[in-house]
Amino acid sequence: MIRPIREGIRGVGRHWAMSISSAIAVTVTLIIISLFLVLSYHLERFTRTVESSVEISVMVSYDAESSSDLRRIEQEISKIGGVEDVTYSDKDQELDYYINSFEDERTKEVFEPFKADNPMHDAYYVETKNGADLSAIADKIKTIDGVDTVNYGGQSTLNMVEAMSSIRRFGGILVAALTLLAIFLIQNTIKLTIYARQDEITIMKNVGATNGFIRSPFLWEGIITGMLGAIIPIALTVWSYFVIFERTSGVLISNMFQLEKPLPFLYYVSGILLGVGILVGLFGSWLSVSRYLRDRR
Amino acid sequence: MIQCTHVYKRYKNGTNALYDINLSVDQGEFVYVIGPTGSGKSTLIKLMDAEEVATKGDVKVVGINVGELSKRQIPIYRRNIGVVFQDYKLLPHKTVFENIAYALEVIGMKKEQIRKRTLEIMKVVGLGDKGNSFPKELSGGQQQRVAIARAIANRPKVLIADEPTGNLDPAKSDEIMDLLQQINERYGTTVVMVTHDITLVNRYRKRTIVLEQGHIVADRSEGGYVRHD
Repeated sequence: MIRPIREGIRGVGRHWAMSISSAIAVTVTLIIISLFLVLSYHLERFTRTVESSVEISVMVSYDAESSSDLRRIEQEISKIGGVEDVTYSDKDQELDYYINSFEDERTKEVFEPFKADNPMHDAYYVETKNGADLSAIADKIKTIDGVDTVNYGGQSTLNMVEAMSSIRRFGGILVAALTLLAIFLIQNTIKLTIYARQDEITIMKNVGATNGFIRSPFLWEGIITGMLGAIIPIALTVWSYFVIFERTSGVLISNMFQLEKPLPFLYYVSGILLGVGILVGLFGSWLSVSRYLRDRR
Repeated sequence: MIQCTHVYKRYKNGTNALYDINLSVDQGEFVYVIGPTGSGKSTLIKLMDAEEVATKGDVKVVGINVGELSKRQIPIYRRNIGVVFQDYKLLPHKTVFENIAYALEVIGMKKEQIRKRTLEIMKVVGLGDKGNSFPKELSGGQQQRVAIARAIANRPKVLIADEPTGNLDPAKSDEIMDLLQQINERYGTTVVMVTHDITLVNRYRKRTIVLEQGHIVADRSEGGYVRHD
């Protein structure tokens, strides 16, 4: 275990210029992967908050407030396809909710008199299974007898989120292409290392070294190069995420767009970056060594 | 120890290297394989070393059919054979001690045993005091001794020497010959030595196999070689 690592480190040192250039390829790839990871994680998160916050509010007209009317309306809404959940909120709850939306105590007091003669409607809040069905379901609810008004919001937000996911798809292709490039560069570096050590490999083969014994130092060289390449992206990600989080106090545009807390999120991101760096290095060197060893008996 | 039966070798590029080689070398024998360039000497060595596979026929070394070895088995098989080259093939960044010990590290021997064995072999080849020298600080003859030491470090049953004296002057060549004979007698190692050097072949009489254009044209157990032109 120690011998291959020691030899691997020596190999990196012996061809330091080549090693650095491959490590830089890994660095560039990982920086973009990191951006991609952080962005798509948050897109996913935003989509979830937006989708869960999108609902249809149904106001019951004043002349349909009897319990039999209410029961009928609720049943008819539930029967509509694509409806996930229906919650009832009576006019008193609605008023409380409205009053409590103000933070200032004095403003709250202003609304106290309305409690005697409540102007609010009884209401139903309808969650849909899919954000895209929003308008169709709202139209159907409008036709139900005793329904006064139907409102829904968030469609534009949903559209925006959808637009962002197509950007994410493009980013995925870019990441795949850069990863391949990094593997290719590492493969070439290791190939040069192998040529430089051809004599040694011949000697190893002659004295009966197994292929695994010959291969392992080169694999470690790839792993070390990959790890070196991961240092800057990890540092950059951790530093810039902390800065962004502090500057924005974790909130973008509105409460709907909240950033994940830096920890443990950054541990996961760093782990993934290091892992990808190691895998890219390992895979690149494995390709060259295996090709070299396969051609020789 | 070494048995070739109806061995043919044709390379992928169409070159025919060996035709119907039949050969038997007993344990503890010392044989020369001689012949001009392109006569198939190197191919014969490659077949024994499992670097190449015979197109037809069987090559058996230490009872193992070399052609049937899987890639996985080849390294283990090679531990039965030591090979010495004309150009020594020493690792320039390693000392004499390290170069010899390397062959033992590769096969996973314990550290303490490696040290003991290496020091012992260094004495056998007459380099007991050169352990810390680097190859470039040694003469050609001394470098070849290191290579021989490395080849016999794990006590192989067969030692293949491919033109071991090719780069050496006559005096140094005699030293190497003495050493190879000594190893042959002391450990009972079968020695196959490929050479161009007719003077050596005639001075140290051993069984001599003559190859020409891929055929064995003479196999003289009394040794010596006379060119019939």
